[in-house]
Amino acid sequence: MKRKEFLGRLIGEVTNFLLEGNPLRLVVSLHQEPDGAHISFFDDRPRTEEEIARIYQALNPKQSRPELAEYYGLMAGHDMAWDARLKLIGWQIKHASVENSDSGLRIDLWLGSDAFNPENFTLHKKK
Amino acid sequence: MQRNERILYALLTLLITALAVTGIMLEGPFQVVRQTLSLQTESARLINDFTRYGVGTAMFNAATVGALCLILVFYATVSLSGPTLSAILTVMGFSFFGNTLLNCIPLITGVWLASKMAHKTFGSYSLIALFGTALGPLVTHLMFHIGLPLGLSIPLGLVSGLAAGFILPAVAGSMLALHQGYNLYNVGFSCGFIGLFAANLLIATKKMQSLSIEWGTSFSLPLFLLVPLFSLILLVTSLVVEKPRKTLQGFLAIQKLSGRLPYDFFDTGHYGGTLANIGLLGLLYWAYVLAVGSPINGPVIGGIFTIMAFGGFGKTVKNTLPVLAGVVLSTLLFSKNLNAPGPLLAALFSTTLAPIAGQFGIIAGILAGAVHLIMVEVTASWHGGLDLYNNGFAGGLTASLFIAILQWYKTNRPEEDFTT
Repeated sequence: MKRKEFLGRLIGEVTNFLLEGNPLRLVVSLHQEPDGAHISFFDDRPRTEEEIARIYQALNPKQSRPELAEYYGLMAGHDMAWDARLKLIGWQIKHASVENSDSGLRIDLWLGSDAFNPENFTLHKKK
Repeated sequence: MQRNERILYALLTLLITALAVTGIMLEGPFQVVRQTLSLQTESARLINDFTRYGVGTAMFNAATVGALCLILVFYATVSLSGPTLSAILTVMGFSFFGNTLLNCIPLITGVWLASKMAHKTFGSYSLIALFGTALGPLVTHLMFHIGLPLGLSIPLGLVSGLAAGFILPAVAGSMLALHQGYNLYNVGFSCGFIGLFAANLLIATKKMQSLSIEWGTSFSLPLFLLVPLFSLILLVTSLVVEKPRKTLQGFLAIQKLSGRLPYDFFDTGHYGGTLANIGLLGLLYWAYVLAVGSPINGPVIGGIFTIMAFGGFGKTVKNTLPVLAGVVLSTLLFSKNLNAPGPLLAALFSTTLAPIAGQFGIIAGILAGAVHLIMVEVTASWHGGLDLYNNGFAGGLTASLFIAILQWYKTNRPEEDFTT
């Protein structure tokens, strides 16, 4: 249940953010392992380099903020009526990558325990 | 530890040391320790101005509580930044009229137990633990003021504090959803909610006396100078750590932020600008207190400290002024005195609603401030003064109402419906 709520919050907040761009297509892909998870988001709205840098910065904070993650992180994914706040997600995940894919924006979130091994995930591998 | 964090540690250590030394100088080391020990047994329900027991005593008490908070933050391995600075300065401010070491420790321990049960680090709940000391009066009221033998009442107070602290993370998380981060004193809102149940239980058992206002009116030079001196130190530091031009640019950039929780202004990269914002907020609201002719006493210091506390975590000069204007207008409309305890403290603490002005504009801020005054005048009696952050409780109710209406309006936009 804990994992379900956590994933729901993360997916809700990022989806809120992507829907603000009014995309015609939005795909969410989840891959879970016992020690972690990988969530990918794709839409059909390419962003500028500046926008991508801003999104990346919000999702990858400079330092860990446990005091904000556990408490204020609860607000993530709960308020679709207001502007999305990706930093609420950034404090709670291990890493995020942000890039323009062939069709639009692609966001990958990596989360999990200390034993988490991203090598178990193959979805985003680029040749 | 980074340079910016070290500077914050140095500033807080300076403040705590200055308070302790001034307290000792004012009343002498033995007297100040004796008085501070005696203060631990005070009920501390709203409004109990600790400066009435001695300005030095109140200062020394604030120093001891501040030291506890700073040590906790250090050992919890969370960064000393906007949020933690806000918690420490707020608790120190309330140590001038409510918080003591004795009534803080059981609540903090209760939150620590909750963190252990949830398999989290204490650092994860550190903000809830520090702000949770708002329920301090619950501990000391039960320990010393319900007429039971001390052998029974002291354990009862301890267990109640532990229990309140234990449930606080759960309540605080849920309360955030009500106002969506537009009430800065969210734990105060949560403590008021818990206080409602505790107060009514005490009323049912006839163990709750009616509220009284203990409001110091005598002049004290150290107390008078405390806020402006600390504000000036912050302003000078802001000009030393960064070039004055950069500090000014940072300060102006911060004024554009809404302040909605959680917004750590130090994270914006405007370090000097944030320190300047805190210092200017202190000077501005200190000047307001003098302008309305109020004495500088414990609760007033608590109010100004709390405004400064959130100067790095949600409050700016720009987003607090509309809310203050709302309280002033409401005070005048209902023919109250601007320097009476209720309206004055409401003017200072109403800035909990600053994010409403920051996000929705000046009119919304004024309306929120006006409604807040009406609420805050009665909410203390609801929780029997057990929640020191009464304005956080009233602010939470006001923000929840505003956000519910705005949310309904925002989610009913026919122009964005699918076409039929």
